[in-house]
Amino acid sequence: MQTLLKILTRYSNFLVFIALEVAAFMLLSWNNVYPRSSMLSTANDAIAWQHEQISEVKAYFSLRSQNELLAAENAALRNRISAMDSAKTGDDIHYIPAKVVQMTTNRLHNYLTINRGSKDGIQRGQGIRNEEGAVGIVRTVGRNYSVVLPLINTHTNLSCRFAKNDYIGTLQWDGKDSRFALLADVAAHMVVNPGDTIITSGLSPVFPEKIPVGIVENSVLKEGDSYYTIRVRLHTNFKRLKYVEVVQNAAQQELEELENGLD
Amino acid sequence: MDWTKQLLRYIVVMMLQVLLFDQLQFLGVCHPYIYVLCLLMMPITLPHSADMLIGAAAGAIMDIFCNSLGVHMAGCILIMFIRPYLIGAIVSDKDRLNEQISLHAIGMEALVKYVVIMVLIHHLTIFLLAAWSWHHIGFVLLETLVSSTVTIAIIIGYNALKNR
Repeated sequence: MQTLLKILTRYSNFLVFIALEVAAFMLLSWNNVYPRSSMLSTANDAIAWQHEQISEVKAYFSLRSQNELLAAENAALRNRISAMDSAKTGDDIHYIPAKVVQMTTNRLHNYLTINRGSKDGIQRGQGIRNEEGAVGIVRTVGRNYSVVLPLINTHTNLSCRFAKNDYIGTLQWDGKDSRFALLADVAAHMVVNPGDTIITSGLSPVFPEKIPVGIVENSVLKEGDSYYTIRVRLHTNFKRLKYVEVVQNAAQQELEELENGLD
Repeated sequence: MDWTKQLLRYIVVMMLQVLLFDQLQFLGVCHPYIYVLCLLMMPITLPHSADMLIGAAAGAIMDIFCNSLGVHMAGCILIMFIRPYLIGAIVSDKDRLNEQISLHAIGMEALVKYVVIMVLIHHLTIFLLAAWSWHHIGFVLLETLVSSTVTIAIIIGYNALKNR
């Protein structure tokens, strides 16, 4: 017993070190797998407020280009309203406008924070788009702010399809350039041309069908490979992202419950 | 320097970190984490385990700003664990140390060695953990090199200015 105590005292600092590192790694893996804590992320009110102030200051330096974008967005929105009036798709989808208060584009794991949270009806897993195309998926929801996993995060997978023949692929990001992403799982027998349009597949309730994602920049089929390596030029300009819309699909909860029921 | 001053310095440095250094967009590889200045320059009066706890807290606070729970925490705990051993190995004249770590107390050579080793370990740990795979190792190493250079320059510069 005395020897044990002696050993414990002798190595107490090392034991504290190990205990703290284990705690850090538990937080790390827990956060990677199941990022629920809005307190400990930029969805935290105080932190997000601070980022919002920074972005307010930065906004003054880009007023002109933002105005142009807003004007274009207004026009497109009006077009969409008229399209909605005429088309009866049967989908019950609402768009909630949101402002981006914080965003990184130059890391492997980029995130953006929007100024909408649970009090606005935002839920984990909802899609984010802007006028240009798909932006990302809601990851962590706080009361007033939410953290979004954008397409330019190496964790993100998005089910997409070719507009020309409905062939399905998975959009991923390689961590290199915020203007491009990669489309995986496209088999070699398919004919891929530069300029082909990529849209959301509508297979998951995150995004409705046919939201623009990007166009094929180039495709490589290596000798002996059965899948293409396709580089997609994303429609969304993440460097200038300011205003987005959260996609609320009334059927999302029901669809998820149905899918869970199948397991 | 008493602990109120330490805390004030931490708040100022964190503001600089979040308002200025986190906003840098230089080629996507420059993410200097200058907040380690406060950990590095802390006097060595507290017990070793208390130092590590302070490191864990400072890391966790930085993590909240980066959406990276655990990453900075692990890096800071690691350097705070290494710190006393490193100082013991680098500083030959223990009498000059006098519990303070500064240019005046340990001299330029020892200070540069200390800062370079600590910052490199800290930045490499953080970028590796943030990437969470060996797939991006080239990018991580470049990121570590560029970011560490900036952080090291700032910490050495800070000490030089203070010593004038």
